[in-house]
Amino acid sequence: MSEPLVIRQPQLGEDYERVTQELTGAFSHMRAAVLEERPVVVVLDDRDLLGQGAVADAALATGLLGLVRAFALEGARAGWRVNALTHRGEETDLAQCLEHLADGGLSGQLIRVGTEHLGRVWP
Amino acid sequence: MSTASQRGLAVITGAAGVLGTRIAERLAADGHDLLLVDLDRAVALTAERIAAASSRRAVACVADLTSAEGAEAVARSAGEEGGNVALLVNNAGITRDGRIGDMQERDFAAVIDVNLTAAMRLTFALERLLADGSVVLNMSSRASLGNFGQANYVASKSGLVGLTRALALRWAPRVRVNAVAPSLIDTPMAHSMPEHVLEKVVSRIPAGRIGMPDDVASIVAFLASPEAGYITGQVLVACGGRSIAA
Repeated sequence: MSEPLVIRQPQLGEDYERVTQELTGAFSHMRAAVLEERPVVVVLDDRDLLGQGAVADAALATGLLGLVRAFALEGARAGWRVNALTHRGEETDLAQCLEHLADGGLSGQLIRVGTEHLGRVWP
Repeated sequence: MSTASQRGLAVITGAAGVLGTRIAERLAADGHDLLLVDLDRAVALTAERIAAASSRRAVACVADLTSAEGAEAVARSAGEEGGNVALLVNNAGITRDGRIGDMQERDFAAVIDVNLTAAMRLTFALERLLADGSVVLNMSSRASLGNFGQANYVASKSGLVGLTRALALRWAPRVRVNAVAPSLIDTPMAHSMPEHVLEKVVSRIPAGRIGMPDDVASIVAFLASPEAGYITGQVLVACGGRSIAA
């Protein structure tokens, strides 16, 4: 199995001027990985996906989720495996989920660890 | 001359384009005065025409929103119009389509910068001018759910969803923030794709037709109105059913 690329969403706080740079960097790393047939897992903070954190972090988190979907859609025929994993703070169970996402045939999925997502509308 | 139905100043970006112009016309008809923003100097003619046709005040601001100076220029213009911004429509957007394997980093970054980062820049530049009860509307896209050959556009429009949600929570209950996510709309952007591809896409839309700028303008008008007063942090997908079709 190829070593997966794991991208962890950085925290930008209020620094929205960094969003372009961070998304562009993620795009480049993800592209390099899939072209080497490496799986990609993007780890997102669920507070940011829900919009409960800083504005720049929310924009970055949902932007990264969009990237995951775009890669999964465009790379479906080529067998690219690109997924997202979201959690809140605790690293519990993350390793097992990361392994599952990297090894399995899934692509374009958003896996939610924890129960914070219940009762919420997700992007 | 203004009428008694004045609903405050609406700032609309990308206002020289087909969609921005139609949104501006609709908001003027609903009683908004307008500050129309675009990089294209043709926005001045758009403002002139709408003002003449609607009896509302409409002024233009030519600004590059990819710079802090551009955003501040819009804020200055809004201040000169009395401040008290009732509505901001972040509508400016570009495309630089390409397969992921071929996409240039500069094209990726340009789309993120115009469609997403510039929207944040302008929204924060106008924050001090937003009136109580005002509304911010971000023009996302159905493409935020995923699209072929548009990784940059998808990321930018998906990013606007996060922006919408975070701002809605931060500024509630003083300001409502929502997003509109149109699908294929009859604009030059849609017609930039090969005709046979366009026909194929339209044939898959359950509504049986391409979306019209009026469809989007109506949704903007609704979300901007007091009738949508209990809606914030939401994304209204206007896609003729495309996002649920097989």
